[in-house]
Formats: sequence, C-alpha cells, structure tokens
Amino acid sequence: MAEADAGSSPSSVDGGGGGSVQNDYPTIDPTSFDVVICGTGLPESVLAAACAAAGKTVLHVDPSSLYGSLYSSIPLPSLASFLSPDPSPPSSTAAAPDSHTVVDLQRRSVYSEVEFSGAAPEPARRFTVDLVGPRVLYCADEAVDLLLRSGGSHHVEFKSVEGGSLLYWEGCLYPVPGKRQDIFIDKTLGLLEKRTLNKFFNLVKEHVAAASVSPDEAGEVDASAKIPEEDLDLPFVEFLEKQGLSPKMRAVVLYAIAMADYDQDGADPLERLITTREGIQTISLYSSSIGRFANAEGAFIYPMYGHGELPQAFCRCAAVKGALYVLRMPVAALLLDEEKKHFVGARLASGQDILCKQLIIDPSYEIPTLDTSFGGPDLKSPRKVARGVCIISKSVKQGSSNVLVVFPPKSLEEQQVAAVRLLQLSSNLAVCPPETFVAYLSTPCTDVSSGKQCIQKAMHALFSPQASDGSEGHLETADESTVKPTLIWNCVYVQEIRQGTSRPLLSCPMPDEHLDYRNILESTKKLFTDIYPDEEFLPKKSAPVYADDDTDSE
Amino acid sequence: MAATAGGNKIRNAKLVLLGDVGAGKSSLVLRFVKGQFVEFQESTIGAAFFSQTLAVNDETVKFEIWDTAGQERYHSLAPMYYRGAAAAIVVYDITNAASFTRAKKWVQELQAQGNPNTVMALAGNKADLLEARQVPAEEAKAYAQENGLFFMETSAKTAINVNDVFYEIAKKLLQGQQTQNPQGGMVLNQRPPERTVSSSSCCV
Repeated sequence: MAEADAGSSPSSVDGGGGGSVQNDYPTIDPTSFDVVICGTGLPESVLAAACAAAGKTVLHVDPSSLYGSLYSSIPLPSLASFLSPDPSPPSSTAAAPDSHTVVDLQRRSVYSEVEFSGAAPEPARRFTVDLVGPRVLYCADEAVDLLLRSGGSHHVEFKSVEGGSLLYWEGCLYPVPGKRQDIFIDKTLGLLEKRTLNKFFNLVKEHVAAASVSPDEAGEVDASAKIPEEDLDLPFVEFLEKQGLSPKMRAVVLYAIAMADYDQDGADPLERLITTREGIQTISLYSSSIGRFANAEGAFIYPMYGHGELPQAFCRCAAVKGALYVLRMPVAALLLDEEKKHFVGARLASGQDILCKQLIIDPSYEIPTLDTSFGGPDLKSPRKVARGVCIISKSVKQGSSNVLVVFPPKSLEEQQVAAVRLLQLSSNLAVCPPETFVAYLSTPCTDVSSGKQCIQKAMHALFSPQASDGSEGHLETADESTVKPTLIWNCVYVQEIRQGTSRPLLSCPMPDEHLDYRNILESTKKLFTDIYPDEEFLPKKSAPVYADDDTDSE
Repeated sequence: MAATAGGNKIRNAKLVLLGDVGAGKSSLVLRFVKGQFVEFQESTIGAAFFSQTLAVNDETVKFEIWDTAGQERYHSLAPMYYRGAAAAIVVYDITNAASFTRAKKWVQELQAQGNPNTVMALAGNKADLLEARQVPAEEAKAYAQENGLFFMETSAKTAINVNDVFYEIAKKLLQGQQTQNPQGGMVLNQRPPERTVSSSSCCV
C-alpha cells in the first residue's frame, strides 16, 4: 500500500485495497460512531456530507491514498493497476468483542476485458483519467443543486462543454442545435427541417410552461398548450414521427438531446423505449440548463481536474461538519450481530474494531450474504457498460475545446443496438497537457465483445491510427481542417453496474451508463431516506456560513 | 463578492493552512479574521473557509483562507485542498517539538502537491508560552531559510505577529507578479435556480 507519510506520491494509488502488510495504521479515536462509511465514491461522499449535516457522527475511511473510489480521477500511469487490482488479502478472523460475528469483506472485480493500445505521451502523469467518463453535469441538474446546497460548489471550478454536441450521422458530424438561433443558422438543415424542428421545440416549450404552473393558477394559462396525456405515454419516437420530424432530426432529439440509450426504432425489449414524458423531461432539463449560469456556454459543464473532484468536495463538506477522514485504511471485515441480523461495526486493517449504528460500503465490495434468508441480491447478472479512454492529437471540431459527440444506434454498424457517446476534453480543464485532447466513450452493453467493438468502431470513425513511422499520417495532404485527429493512446474496458441496496447492508450504486449523475444521486438520496426517514437530505441550511469581511456570520 | 474599493486592484488569493492538530491553525485565522481568541478552541468544525481583505499600499489582497476541517488528523487532505493555493502557512507549536518535525513533513507535502509559485510561511505559534519552548527559534529560522519559506513566531493568544504574517504574505503575493490562475474555471454561484422557463435564449 501507500507510504506511511501519505498522499505525497500520486503514484501510490491503489485500487485493489489490499496490499503488503504494513502495520503503521493509526489508531482511530473515538471507537464508536453513528455511521461508518467505507469508500469515498461520489454516493458515499454525498451520504457522508448528508449524514454529517444531519448531526450524525461519521467515520469515513478509504483503502486508497486518493479520494473517489470508483468515481475517482487518477493519473494515467495508475490506470492499469486500478482496472486490474490485486485480489483482496485474506483478512483476520480473530474473535470479535461482545460475541459479534466477524464477516470477511471481499473486493469484487468491477472491470473486465481491459485492453490498452499505444504509448501515452510523456510525462504520462500529466493525464488525469476519469473512471466515470464520459460524464458531464447539466447546469440545472441535481448534482449542481447538491453542490450548491451543501456548499461543495465553493471547492470545484467548472468549464463548459463549449463546443456543444455533435451527431454522427451517415459518416459525418452535424451540430446539435442548442439555442433556437442555432436552428436558423445551421447550414446543414433544410428549410422544412428548420421549420419542423422549430415547431416541435415550441410545442415542448409551451407544454413545459403550462405543466410547471401549479394547479391553483391553472386557470390563467392555456391548458391546451399541454401535450395530451395519451401522447405523453406514447413512445417518444412515435410522438416525434407524428410531429413530422425526419429520421435525422429524430436521431438528434432522441439520442443527442433526450439521451436515449437504446435503439428506439428496434424496440427490443419494450422497456428500453423512452416515453414522450421521459423525453420531454430531459429536453426540459437540457433547455433550462442553457443560460442557467451567466458564464456557462451550452447545457453541460465539466469539473476542472476531472470528476474525482466531486467526491472530494462532498467529503470536505462532511469534514467541515465534523466527519472524521482516514485514507489508506482498508476495512478487513464487518461485525455482525447474529441475532438481529444487523451489522454493528467494521474491523479495520489495523485490527481495530469500530462500532457503529449504520454501516455504508462502497460498491466495489462484495455484499456478504447473511445465510439464505436474503436470497442474495447479486444473483441477477448486472448491467454492463463498455468504456473507452483515448488520447488524441487535436480536436474533433476545429476551434472547440470540449465537445460531446453522439453516435446513434446503427450509425456505426447494423448490429449497434445502443448509442455511443464520446466526450472530448481539452487541456483547459487541466486533465491533459496542452496540444493534446482526451476523449471518453461509453455504450451500455449486454454482450461485452460487441460493446467493446462499438467503442472501437466509434474511435476509428473519428480518429486515424497513429502512423507507425510517424509520416504516413500526412499522406492525405488535405487541408488541416479535414484531417482526422490521430489516436495516440487508448484503453477499452467493460465495467459492471450494480445498483445501490440498503439491505442487508447499505451498498452504494456504481457509476452507471448515463451521461450525468441524475440516477446515481436519486438512488443515493433514496438510500439516505431509507436509513434516516425523518431527516432532510442535505437541507439548504447545511451549507456552511462563510465568515466574509462584509458580513457578520455570528 | 466584495465591492471594488475605490478603484483599487483587488487580488484574490487562496491561502491554505497546514500543520498538526492542536498547533493553532484555526486560532491564527480567528485572530486574523475576527480578532478573537478562545483558550480551548475545539477542533475545527463549521467553516470551510474565511475571507479577509488586506490593503498593502494602494493594492488589496482578498484572502480566501482554507482551514483543514480536521482532514489533516489522519493525513487525509484531498489534492483539492492544495489546488490553486497562492499561499500557505505551515503552523507548528513552539512548545511541541513533534509538531515542528511534522511541520517539515507538511512543507514537503506542499512542495509535492502545491504549485511552485506558492508563497510559503512557517509560523511557530504559541510564542507567548516561552517557558515551555521546545523548538529554538534559530533552528526554525534556519530551516525556513533553507527551504525558501519566511518565518515568524506568532501568538494567536496575544496577537503577536499574527497580522504581520498575513501582511507579509500579501506583500510577497503582490511582488510576485504571478498571473492570476490563468486556467481558472467558473465557480457555481449561489444564485437560486430560476425555475422560470421564459429564458428567451433557449429552444424550449
């Protein structure tokens, strides 16, 4: 594991948790808490902040020397060991106090099919890699609200995905209209398309305005502006057809704005079809995100230094409220009260037993099964997402730094069942050195090889391979703007996705296949409500009051 | 943020405190920001940072002072803590030799994590407790000189040298002519979300 004197060396990242026997773990004082949380992923960190804000005493530990667990951003040289960690060490099973049973805690393998290609430019540690990519925040989404409410927003800086979104369609990239003016200046749209699209957006706008009015004011607005209920329950794709949108415009709306994952024309199975209601909800979030912050361009923002900053921000909020933090501290086992079937504490790698009323663990740990009565929540095979990370030589969109690209289903190959999303980031986010770009890709998949194949196809659609002798890349002699970016280095892997559970043990959700944190945070909030039904989840007043020179906070 | 005072240039600067539990980091800040001292200051709870402006000649430095929030106790400060720090004060307790040893570790950590332009100060706190001194001022001064820090002994209790440390840092920051965090991004502001859908710039 990491050196005794701490996070001084970023290369000591350890995703595996276990490691060499090193007995200089500190002794924790006190030895009993309301809540013990193991792992500093985003959901655990948000829960730590919420529990601390609710006045609970919290001990938050992580085996790694870095914050973030499955949600961290890590220096590129540490990526390989993070994706293929060493197996958990055998843990101690000495007797527990007060007749508690000791239940070993094991890591599970979250990542599979890890494949690297190419050599990262030196110094490789100047590249910071997200494990949750491609991911952004909508300016008006729950993640932003939680950051503002908790005070975590003071600790993170953001930049816009200022290049907007592009749709990959018939081998070319087309801009996705963000603002209404975009529709009119878009040279790739025909006049009829412009008119239909504009009409559709107007319809949605009026519906959202009418629907957001409270019932007692309803008399004053035109109820006919609302889209009828039966239309809201329709598959969104059918509704779009009814509005007369062309196939390309439907793809723009479905996959690049409503962010549908699966093929909406294929309809297999039916639950993958998004309804008009769901589609409009995301469109409405998208449009309310545009212009929410005066200095943000477009709907999406990205945290400088990577997504790993977000758990750190929530942990700091928790710490400010009194939560105790111990990195480089694995949990070896859990303490179980056999009679009550309830976990009552954790045995740290140091051998110290910590008692608590509530235990929360990172999803990278296997949930111990408590005899047969719980029937094992893990029997179903989990969802999977194929992810890719690339280093490329230049932007996919000339003049833009940060860009989102969506490859709708079937756009790369006939067998492509789900959309592939690609987020390109530049050095202005401090995640890579100047003159390079990082791109993340993901697609949900059931079959790991076809998932990986889609990721690879998407890379090859936009990037050209590194020339072996360094000269062939320029044979095309075309002007600079039409030459594809060169793919310098890449890594493709598959991640399983497990949901959060609150019984028999509270385990947080893994990073999911989505572009944003909405589902993860919604389920995190639900987990909090499960354990503390009477407490408000990160109430607004939980944001610390800052002593400013022009205000008196006392 | 604070209004521009009489057309002066205002330089924003993040300042981080480092040092062991009990060295008096929070007491120094409270003395500087509020002019207060509490004999038995509890371990830091409650404030993520304080801000305070300081005028140096015709220029103004607005410090945003970050306290460790206890995350130093088990050496678990996040990289975020060091990011963009224009200045740092490493605090030890002159009556506790171990805290001085640990202060040197904090300096190393800062050199590894912070940016090379960070203005660093070493503050030997509790200088009012001369009879219990364990760390000779000369030793700390020599260490500071070798490592490019400036050194002062302070007392949050009697206020000796407290403002001076911050003033000295402000002066050095203004001399430093550093570009102001050229890569800075946007900080989400506390403006309440506008639920109105009337934003005319949007499609919807």
